[in-house]
Amino acid sequence: MNTLAILMSAFILSIVGLGFFIWSQRSRPASTTTDGSEVIFAKGELGHPESITQSISTAHGPAASDNLELQARVRADASTAQVVFFFYCCAFVWLLVASAAGLTASIKLHSPDWLVSQAWLSFGRIRTIHLNAVAYGWAPMAGLGTALFIIPRLLKTELVGARYALLGAALWNAALVSGLGSLAYGVSDGMEWLEIPWQIDLLFVAGGALVGVPLILTLLQRKVAHLYVSVWYMGCALFWFPILFFVANFPGLHHGVEAATMNWWFGHNVLGLFYTPLALASIYYLLPKLIGRPIQSYNLSLLGFWGLAFFYGQVGGHHLIGGPVPGWLVTLSIVQSMMMILPVAAFTVNQHLTLKGHLSALRHSPTLQFLCLGGLMYTASSLQGSFEALRSMNAVTHFTHYTVAHAHLGLYGFVSMVFFGAIYFVVPRITGRDWPWPRLIAAHFWLAAIGIAIYFVSLTIGGWLQGSAMLDESRGFMESVALTLPYLKGRSVGGALMALGHVVFAAHFARLLIGERRRAQGTASPLKTATGAL
Amino acid sequence: MSNPDILPQQRRENPDPEERTTPVPWPVLALAAALAAFGVDYISHADLGAPSAWGDGRSLAELAGDKPVAGAKLDGGAIYAARCTACHQATGQGLPGVFPPLAGSEWVAGKPGTLAAILLHGINGTIKVNGQSYQGAMPAFGASLGDAEIAAVLTHIRSQWGNAAGPIGTDTVAEVRTRLADRTDPFAGGDELAALP
Repeated sequence: MNTLAILMSAFILSIVGLGFFIWSQRSRPASTTTDGSEVIFAKGELGHPESITQSISTAHGPAASDNLELQARVRADASTAQVVFFFYCCAFVWLLVASAAGLTASIKLHSPDWLVSQAWLSFGRIRTIHLNAVAYGWAPMAGLGTALFIIPRLLKTELVGARYALLGAALWNAALVSGLGSLAYGVSDGMEWLEIPWQIDLLFVAGGALVGVPLILTLLQRKVAHLYVSVWYMGCALFWFPILFFVANFPGLHHGVEAATMNWWFGHNVLGLFYTPLALASIYYLLPKLIGRPIQSYNLSLLGFWGLAFFYGQVGGHHLIGGPVPGWLVTLSIVQSMMMILPVAAFTVNQHLTLKGHLSALRHSPTLQFLCLGGLMYTASSLQGSFEALRSMNAVTHFTHYTVAHAHLGLYGFVSMVFFGAIYFVVPRITGRDWPWPRLIAAHFWLAAIGIAIYFVSLTIGGWLQGSAMLDESRGFMESVALTLPYLKGRSVGGALMALGHVVFAAHFARLLIGERRRAQGTASPLKTATGAL
Repeated sequence: MSNPDILPQQRRENPDPEERTTPVPWPVLALAAALAAFGVDYISHADLGAPSAWGDGRSLAELAGDKPVAGAKLDGGAIYAARCTACHQATGQGLPGVFPPLAGSEWVAGKPGTLAAILLHGINGTIKVNGQSYQGAMPAFGASLGDAEIAAVLTHIRSQWGNAAGPIGTDTVAEVRTRLADRTDPFAGGDELAALP
């Protein structure tokens, strides 16, 4: 049998198999409850969007009639508060470090003579520090912190072994500090996303395991019959990431072209099978909670989840288009990149139908603003990524700033926005303090949104022109470099706004910690917060 | 089990969410079918037979992108740097006694047809340049460079290092290529070249 026949039959069989599998799962909630939408949704809360103008009486209405739900939630929070707080504190630190490094790298691209006296400040190192501080600092700390908060709530149980998670986080951060230190010193493994030396990766593995195992033990302690969609995403992210990280960093396993293939298998999967599910799970949990409606369709959730789980693992090969890798591998990854449109559409339609008619909640909830922008950017960056995988478009965009713009639309416009929103929601629940200055939240939102818009538009245009110039035989290579200069400056402006937003965010967090703690007194606690961050 | 205090923030939020069992909207199913059809179509048209070492099998012409439009020029300097500098050097001075210079060479500034013939078929024999004899082998580029590329690199060397001869057009190279189409061996040296029309 020839390669084409094998590839074609494998594709068709797997698609049909996946379809049957999802179809077989579709009626699960109905089998445990007569009417999911009534039973699973707590009494008295339908039609009560959470808002800052909520009066005390309505706030107590659902609580009084559904006390068990509230108590389970409070117990879950009590078991996670300390560890989530630690994760978030680390996330803030890495966010600031990553912003400073990223902005420095960005400025160096159009002002190459700036900060050249120190080796560790040279572009090759500071850009790598930026990437690793985001990839192993900010994103996992914020994402895992949110997962630690949400999973016990959804399982109606307490986190098992929070102390181990705390130790794991400490190890993880120690690993990251030494990893970034070694990059700054100039020691690296030399592959993008996998720069940190494998000796230090051992610490990450130990730290990650100490964070992951308590969550798995918590899953075993669950007190619910049906797992909510957020649990699928978060649970699987915790299975997928260790496998990715371990295989990719194992020394001496991959060589040459194989190493490049593995490199992009890891580089792309860590986005799609770790950050993406953590952020999607946060949206699936927070969006319906904030507007007080159930998610529109369990069936769409299934399609979105299993589609991502199945297709995503195969898309990394589109980074190797034109490289000396087997044609079937690249072709399959292009096709599966396009197939990713399906789970993205399922997620988008699901959130859209859930939110339909409740857009007014956006005005009152800053968390929801971040989540909605993040959700939209998920759709946008995913669709863009699917088409970028096509050979015709890849020929222009590969090896240009266009790809960098796309990566930031995904990891900042989508993932970071969602984590910002989640942190704004979670912090008051774990500290008992409300965000003191709601206007700073708005400032953060607009700085981040306008910053990423400038960033994305500049680099997308600049990258496309750069790619077109590189393909034109009649123009020299230096021309393709020089023409990007104004767009690189635009990127620095956007990046500076984003970094400023992060400073506002971190300062607000510090102010919240210094401020007076507002604690509930018994059941008759008035809603002290007049305006606030949910 | 001790019950922790309930925070106002926890009290004022909605209970944890759940999902309704609404069926998948038909446009999403239609999209799924359309994407699967695209996948089958894309795979069936993919070129999978090429050896891996060729990458994804795109030819040089496809990778080169748009063909140069009229008026745009091939970069003769780049071709010179890639193909010629190993012997004739970036300075065009060659290596004394081993490789003849192009700077100030009477052959470079001479008849365009002869110069094109040298590039197309190469030399294997004695050639006198600037009064000095060279005994060496100039490889043939007729098979690896197109007419436009040969014209570009010839135009380049005729305008560098103090040379000031006029450009050579693609048609000149094409004409010589046709005229000498039967030739398989390199030229035997300067005498044979001088005899060319």
